[in-house]
Amino acid sequence: MGCGCDDCEQMMQPYIDGVLSADEIAEAKDHLARCPHCEKRFRFEEQFRHYVRVATDEPMRPELRERLVSMRFVVPPTS
Amino acid sequence: MSESAPTAADSRRIAEEARDRVRFEEEALELSDQVYRVARRLVGSREEAEDLVQETYARAFRSWQQYQPGTNLRAWLLRILTNLNIDRGRRVQRTPDLQPLEEGDYYLYNRLESTLPDENPDEERVIERLSQDSIVEALSEIPHDFRDVVVLVDIGEFSYAEAAQILDIPVGTVMSRLHRGRRLLKTKLGEKAVV
Repeated sequence: MGCGCDDCEQMMQPYIDGVLSADEIAEAKDHLARCPHCEKRFRFEEQFRHYVRVATDEPMRPELRERLVSMRFVVPPTS
Repeated sequence: MSESAPTAADSRRIAEEARDRVRFEEEALELSDQVYRVARRLVGSREEAEDLVQETYARAFRSWQQYQPGTNLRAWLLRILTNLNIDRGRRVQRTPDLQPLEEGDYYLYNRLESTLPDENPDEERVIERLSQDSIVEALSEIPHDFRDVVVLVDIGEFSYAEAAQILDIPVGTVMSRLHRGRRLLKTKLGEKAVV
């Protein structure tokens, strides 16, 4: 199983980050269209990135916001 | 220097400055939730994150005039925050030589897929194998230098250039740390996956 394409694995991160050159993007797209093995892993990676953002999200407590608001104008400016 | 009554120009300048300051504070406060979310993943606990954000805003309000209007305020605040975090001496904890081993980019997928009974499952099924807690935990186990970059880019959604500016490191270093940091995260998650 698999395409054994190490280049493809190497290109995954920069491809998703959108930092490849036009030629490299074309090459990656061409490969993904032909290789379900890599295509599946690319889709997984995209979802994984999104999931990391969602899973680690912890909103600020309102108490902290209130404390920040109360600090306005209290601290004198430097110089 | 003669002690004279403030001129109309002086009063205007003072009023303008007060207005600018209020505007700055409002803009900064609007970003506080986003700043906190990044801070929370840079440090180990909620308390630490809250302290850090509070210190950051104290410093930002004090030196608001150093901020150049029109530039990225969120990046400016995060720059203060990461500097404070480093000043707190967290660098001391760094393990100098031990470079953790990392697997390739497909490792996590392959590993998770192997925990599912069906052949060739959908990637949604594969990602469901990861718990929210395991991601938080794995992220906290990555060495600081790598974690900072992953948190700024993948959670804070800063560009490479912004992350470089915030951490005061070259863009190339951001890219290499990001690449390794992501792999380390996936390696840790793969190791945690129950086979």
